[in-house]
Amino acid sequence: MAKILIPTALRQFTEQSDSVEVTGATVAEALGALTLRFPEIKKNLFNDQGKLRSFVNVYVNDEDIRYLDKTDTKLSGGETLSIVPSIAGGATALEEQAPALTNDEIARFSRHLILPEVGMQGQTKLKNAKVAMIGAGGLGAPLGLYLAAAGVGRIGLVDFDVVDVSNLQRQVIHGTSDIGRKKLDSAADRMKEINPNIRIDKFDTGLSSENAFEILRDYDIVVDGTDNFPTRYLVNDACVLLKKPNVYGSIFRFEGQATVFAYEDGPCYRCLYPEPPPPGLVPSCAEGGVLGILPGIIGVIQATETVKLILGIGEPLKGRLLLYDALGMKFRELKLRRDKDCPVCGDHPTVTKLIDYQQFCGITPMSTQPTTTSDSAVIDALELKQKIDRGDKFVLLDVREVHEYQIAKIPGSVLIPLGDLPKRLNELDKNADIVCQCKSGGRSQKAMDLLKQNGFQHVRNMTGGITAWSDKVDPSVPKY
Amino acid sequence: MIEIEAKPWQTMVLHAERLYPNECCGAMLGHNKGGHKVVTESVPLENSFAGKQNDRYELKPEDLLAADKAARARGLDLIGIFHSHPDCDAYFSETDLKNSCPWYSFVVLSIQNGKFDHANSFLPDLDQTAAEPEEMKWPRS
Repeated sequence: MAKILIPTALRQFTEQSDSVEVTGATVAEALGALTLRFPEIKKNLFNDQGKLRSFVNVYVNDEDIRYLDKTDTKLSGGETLSIVPSIAGGATALEEQAPALTNDEIARFSRHLILPEVGMQGQTKLKNAKVAMIGAGGLGAPLGLYLAAAGVGRIGLVDFDVVDVSNLQRQVIHGTSDIGRKKLDSAADRMKEINPNIRIDKFDTGLSSENAFEILRDYDIVVDGTDNFPTRYLVNDACVLLKKPNVYGSIFRFEGQATVFAYEDGPCYRCLYPEPPPPGLVPSCAEGGVLGILPGIIGVIQATETVKLILGIGEPLKGRLLLYDALGMKFRELKLRRDKDCPVCGDHPTVTKLIDYQQFCGITPMSTQPTTTSDSAVIDALELKQKIDRGDKFVLLDVREVHEYQIAKIPGSVLIPLGDLPKRLNELDKNADIVCQCKSGGRSQKAMDLLKQNGFQHVRNMTGGITAWSDKVDPSVPKY
Repeated sequence: MIEIEAKPWQTMVLHAERLYPNECCGAMLGHNKGGHKVVTESVPLENSFAGKQNDRYELKPEDLLAADKAARARGLDLIGIFHSHPDCDAYFSETDLKNSCPWYSFVVLSIQNGKFDHANSFLPDLDQTAAEPEEMKWPRS
């Protein structure tokens, strides 16, 4: 008699016995006796050819029968047999896998495959391509959707933001139920829903001089969907230094631009803009507004260029800056050339490693603070409310634009848009108690500085603007 | 459906993060009541793959045998195997499938940049030709 120990998973077939006594002169006979008694267990141990399944190991006492006489291993009685599965696996890097398309993929990409310019070869290139997307916002939304749908095999997403209700007007990769989620998770879910076969690497961080090489190194192409100058210069320099094409897009109000930088002998972003604009001169989408559809068209142009680069077909948008004007519904093209004196891609580069891009763009931690730091120069939403309730005599000067004033205002405020303020100073009394207010405190800071320079004595800046008013004092005032 | 309790889950994530950038592996013990599995203990096991372990793992059969015995001794079942995919999605790769066993749930943890990112559970078939995704619950922080 030999005792066979039954693994917990197989006890459902042995009437829950954890060991079964059988007779047999060899392992094969003992297992045969087991399956005779419990027929259900047979298909778990043997394949259709009657051979022990590849994942089944049998131990006689402490010895693996593979190192004895396999199933012919003799039993003399009294042995304990153990059934132990052999288990292994691993992620196995995609490049090591056979890159051939599966039948599912052939069906999925049939409209690509019948294009001779794409075909099996092109679709396989897409499957093996690795693209890094910086930002999962306005430009990232159409990019992510189309790159996933096109079958780009591995997509790295870099973003640290969460979905806000004000994003949904343009960031179509996210939905209402995603509000509050990480954009990374929301975008990845949607992309996986479109194409479950792709690999998505999520980088829950802002791209920085410290991590850019580490993150971008593994990818063939970088697509820039960022909305600020420091990151734009960082992406540019990293791409030039890593010799990876940078598919660029940018949007503002009703106009967009797209091109491919750092590709072959073409120019880079610094050839076009050697110096960043002074901070605050070019408003962001949050400040300047943007037509929701605009990133759609620019992002799709970026996606098109990315796919063309991977396939190696057509004329890449290299050395050409495509300008799009939604109101005039016009495309224009500017020729760009590599600048041989460019500090990063020129003949004698001076920028040979990543630098501090915040500093380069004039954004120092100080400049985000009010220039006048004395407490008497600022007033917050709650203090303002108290001031109003006390009946203090003062001017609440709203320096936003007329169309913003129409969306929401603080009762009793006087509107003079910041741009009009210099020529309308005479409307204000230099000795009056004035509180400047805007959307979130930036423009009102500038207004306060202007008033002070012009001899106004009692001016304060309302921190947090009307957004803070809505948050802390009156939630019925809408936020925009 | 497999449900992993907080303590074994913590052990699994810690083990996976500690072995990053290599793959980790281990066993999950608990109960299986009519297909509803509850993991109450997890046991980190050695990755015995000979070679670079950043995208491969192998369990020693004797470790698995010991885990099965340990489960028995505590009145539990060995119900699943877990392993990690460093800097890679928690999908069931061809390598995973070809070296799997249909008796267990296979939980894959995706570790991105050294931190746990997401996880999935799979049920491979007898012939190692396909693995079905299994609904999975874990204590999300």
